[in-house]
Amino acid sequence: MEGQRLTMMGNQAITQGALEAGVRVAAGYPGTPSSEIIQNLAGAADEHGLYVEWSINEKVSLEVAAAASLAGLRSLCAMKQNGVNVASDFLLHLAGSGVRAGMVLVHCDDPGALSSVNEGESRHFARMLELPLLEPSDFQEAKDMTKWAFELSEEIGNLVMLRSVTRLSHASGGVVPGPIPAPGGQARFDHHGSPRDLRHGPVSSAPVGYKHRLQQEKLKRAVELFEDSPFNSYVGPESPELLVITSSICNLYVKEALALLDARDRVGVLKLGTTWPLPPKLLQRHLQRCEQVLVVEEVIPFLEENVKIAAAEMAGEIGAKKFFGKREGTLPAQGELNPDLVLKALAGILDLPYQARPAQYDRLAQELAPQATQDRELAFCPGCPHRASFWSLKEALALDDRDGFICGDIGCYSLAMRPSGYGLLKTLHAMGSGAGMASGFGQLGRFGMDQPVMAVSGDSTFYHAVIPALINAVHQKSPMSLVVLDNSGTAMTGFQPHPGTEANALGQPVPPVDIEAICRSLGAEVTVCDPFDLKATQAAAVGLLADQSTAKVLILRQLCALSPQRKGTKPYEVRVDPEKCLGDQCGCNRLCTRVFGCPGLAWEKESGKARIDEVICAGCGVCASVCPQGAIIISEGA
Amino acid sequence: MAAAKLMHDPYNLIITGVGGQGNVLASRMLGNVLTSQGLWVTIGETFGASQRGGSVMSHLRVSEQGSWSPQIPAGKAHMVLALEPLEALRVLVKYGNPRAKAIVNSRPILPVAAIAGRTSYPATEELEGMLAQLTAQRWSIPATDRAMKLGASIFANIIMIGALAATGDLPVSREAFEAELRRALGHAKVAVNLEAYDLGVAMVGQ
Amino acid sequence: MITRGPRQLLAEVQQPGLCIGCGSCVELCPYFRSHGGKTVMLHDCDLAEGRCHAWCPKTELDLEGLAQTLWGRPYPAQGMGPHLAVVAAKAGPRLESGSYQGGGTVSALVCAALDEGLVQGAVLTGGQGLQTAPRLAATPEEVIACAGSRFTAAPTLAALNRAQAQGCGSVAVVATPCQAAALAQRRAKPWPQRGAAGPAELVIGLFCNWSLDPQGLASFLAQRVEPREIRSMDIPPPPAGVLKVETGQGSLEIPLDEIRGLIPPACGLCPDMTSEWADLAVGMYEGRPGWNTLVVRNEKARALTEAAVEKGWLVMEKFPAANQEHLLQAAQGKRSRGLSAALAQGLLGGPGDDQPKALRVGSELYKAVENGEVA
Repeated sequence: MEGQRLTMMGNQAITQGALEAGVRVAAGYPGTPSSEIIQNLAGAADEHGLYVEWSINEKVSLEVAAAASLAGLRSLCAMKQNGVNVASDFLLHLAGSGVRAGMVLVHCDDPGALSSVNEGESRHFARMLELPLLEPSDFQEAKDMTKWAFELSEEIGNLVMLRSVTRLSHASGGVVPGPIPAPGGQARFDHHGSPRDLRHGPVSSAPVGYKHRLQQEKLKRAVELFEDSPFNSYVGPESPELLVITSSICNLYVKEALALLDARDRVGVLKLGTTWPLPPKLLQRHLQRCEQVLVVEEVIPFLEENVKIAAAEMAGEIGAKKFFGKREGTLPAQGELNPDLVLKALAGILDLPYQARPAQYDRLAQELAPQATQDRELAFCPGCPHRASFWSLKEALALDDRDGFICGDIGCYSLAMRPSGYGLLKTLHAMGSGAGMASGFGQLGRFGMDQPVMAVSGDSTFYHAVIPALINAVHQKSPMSLVVLDNSGTAMTGFQPHPGTEANALGQPVPPVDIEAICRSLGAEVTVCDPFDLKATQAAAVGLLADQSTAKVLILRQLCALSPQRKGTKPYEVRVDPEKCLGDQCGCNRLCTRVFGCPGLAWEKESGKARIDEVICAGCGVCASVCPQGAIIISEGA
Repeated sequence: MAAAKLMHDPYNLIITGVGGQGNVLASRMLGNVLTSQGLWVTIGETFGASQRGGSVMSHLRVSEQGSWSPQIPAGKAHMVLALEPLEALRVLVKYGNPRAKAIVNSRPILPVAAIAGRTSYPATEELEGMLAQLTAQRWSIPATDRAMKLGASIFANIIMIGALAATGDLPVSREAFEAELRRALGHAKVAVNLEAYDLGVAMVGQ
Repeated sequence: MITRGPRQLLAEVQQPGLCIGCGSCVELCPYFRSHGGKTVMLHDCDLAEGRCHAWCPKTELDLEGLAQTLWGRPYPAQGMGPHLAVVAAKAGPRLESGSYQGGGTVSALVCAALDEGLVQGAVLTGGQGLQTAPRLAATPEEVIACAGSRFTAAPTLAALNRAQAQGCGSVAVVATPCQAAALAQRRAKPWPQRGAAGPAELVIGLFCNWSLDPQGLASFLAQRVEPREIRSMDIPPPPAGVLKVETGQGSLEIPLDEIRGLIPPACGLCPDMTSEWADLAVGMYEGRPGWNTLVVRNEKARALTEAAVEKGWLVMEKFPAANQEHLLQAAQGKRSRGLSAALAQGLLGGPGDDQPKALRVGSELYKAVENGEVA
């Protein structure tokens, strides 16, 4: 395949770059849009002699990768934007201590929160922690830049951050792969030298004064290299009317917008791949071209602010500039960008008319839009155990009748903030935060709060960040209930293994760490139920709510409908008996479709009765327990 | 391999459907087939939470020159390959233009709000009428129904690719597709998938 | 008589705290459930009309409409409801002595109704202490096991709904006045198209001045005794003025004034002491321990009492005129207090106003209440 152009996903290009750089160890925690990087490396581990793991959380994954670097092996760590927050304490200290073999942290931001509950910006960690930052702007560059990042890391002796975004990580484009070095490498951690000896001494960010100065010298060396980096390029006339400075996938949006506006002869584009620290000489050369500058980037105006600081510092040489960007509102301050938003900004500055399609067609489309383009609310999949779990929790909270509520956190079950999970989650923040907040709410009885509180967590999330919160609740005797929605995998991001699974990222057998045993060992009362057994689950949940003495755990264990073991199989053949279904005449008021709301059910207009959509139904059979008439018939062995 | 000539450069194709319909698989296979013809293909996708019953789009930009934005600009789709009719309308409202074509799988998937009775799904004729107004050329095909006869609804994707090939808009030859099937799925599944492809071709007609 | 849906039921009954947990709306559909002495709604339901609302005794109770439909005459300002006779009664020789309150008349009547084949089963309140629960009894043994008084209402009518859904067609219900009113709603507003639930074959009403909120009583008692130790409770006849709680360790007397706050607000609006809507009504016989007062309200009831006496289930004697006068005054007092309270709270409806109220009466009675003439 070497030398032949392929269409690769951005994350695959990053993987390829790492392989070409001879990466030996990779670790991460799953999180959209970053997950495929570690997944792909795990897939390549056998062939190329790598060690790859899904770590318990991002901080540990960074520590695992750093160990390899200190032992002389190139290593990579990958995570989504907010994962960097989790890893940041170690990151701060690692930045101070430096690394030995090349080490790259790939962090994938999610502008527009396409698969997140935040629009977090991770680039500022580079400035805050004084580390070099690279941002690839297309697929080939994603590969080439990743490879170079390892060389840069070794050149300066510190970690290099490489930031991708959803529209690059999860998009695909042309990449010409290069050669991958043969497997091999000897690991050894040299620690007998002086603490000031970066190659041979013990490794720490202390002595701080000394190490901090060295760290800043490393960064200066990086800037020198950035001045001549091929990843920074200029396209456009010698003296344009407007200079666009951009980075990352926005470069393709700018290219598209200028083509549509036919304005390539009026606008110059400085695409930066090395976005922290900015190379001042390069910047000065291009800022001198014209008086107007538009900075195009996603999330916070990181590049814009840094360019403005640089421009102020060189104001004597380049004169005053007029800046456009997010800060004065030419570009939106929230949400992801796209060619149309960039085009609108450019058309405004250049005073160019633009019409994407004939006005008559546009009017027609706008007229038709509201009639038929209703939103498709996200929903739990057909056969999803979470729907059953939240159904029982909803009924239990209603029976308890004290306005109890559930604190949520991050996973597929975050959808329970929406109608699909009956809007049950009343707080939703970070991994593990539901349990931590419930631990806090539980203490407020002394201030007159009489609402019972529950938290939900997935199995992967339990290991990632719930354990400390649960220990806190048990130790502080907080009357909260933790419901672990154990669907036996990291379902949201594609079934990566976690400490509870019987195989690791490399497919090797590993001892599963039992959630139930952990909870019991902490002294928490533990109940285990199958969420598909609605009665038992509801009874267990009612019991938890009634007992306000201490922290308790309910584990609801049932395989995800999309899990490799379950997918494509139907445990039950499900049908509606039209004789038994009373339809619109039943007092149930369409309980199965209107309230339970599984996508596998439908209400037939003609007959006024329920029906199973056999294409969508996953055969979990839970709806049979919901129907008050027993009209939904399940039979095994489908 | 010399690049095949394109009627537009970049040629903008949107594959749309509902999470779980296998949209991503279809766009990847099509992308690889076109890449094997020497073309540049840029594919924009989203997945993760957005797959859970939500609308899912893949944007394919096919070019002889290089990578393009993974998001197609508004009003610039040349072809919409829709696995679900309401999704065809959604895409055309934003990305359509008087020259746009569409191949539409006729089987609806009701949004959960419609199942719950909070909204209503438009009647077939009404939806067909709206699609007709927004396209220059349109094929409505019962891809899911035929796929079920082949054994699984997921073959609808392959039927749709066959239908696209039959329009002649893009160089998706049977040979190149067969090679991609072999690469992506292994030998065992080639025959049934080729059968699906041929069904799609026949539905649009040469 | 207005019928609306579950959302209005919540707005008119649940939210103002008027629900007495009778269970009339429970098990008719998947939406309402009895739990911990309360009736709760599990999921939202937007039906415009439902049995939950139609049959609830605490949605608007159209006294005038019910009386016209079921009694064939206006709801009167005076009296204690239609009756053929008031007698003294107690269990007969066929019933072994049990832990009856009073004379065991209720158990005797239920046994007789089962024995006569008048009903296939009877819904009673069973359980111990605070753990009251409705029971379906089909034999005299099962009836005796339920004997004794409870002072919190149980979701009795949920058990009726369950029995009817399971094919038990004719059921006797031992009902408080509010539960008897719920059953009167069923007779006046039948709804056969939605399944088997409907009126009871026989309603044996109880005299009632008020009941206690189950959760309120539970937490009140929990501060004084170990709840699991409670064996039985009784309110002896005046002038005792106490609630007697028997526990494993002995008995505890709680002055009634201390528990008045636990009386649900709905009881203050109730105009019925003697279960006027029932077929028969049974209460204490003040001053004659071991005996009950029995009101025989209609021909079906008369036939039952006669058969009960004949078969040895029941013993009846004459009820002195002075006691009857005293009973009438007590019943009249509750009617007057209930109607006046409803008027004062804006919850009394007359003809021609279509806002939902708690009670609705004819125009003459409305005027009489307004003028303070109902006393």
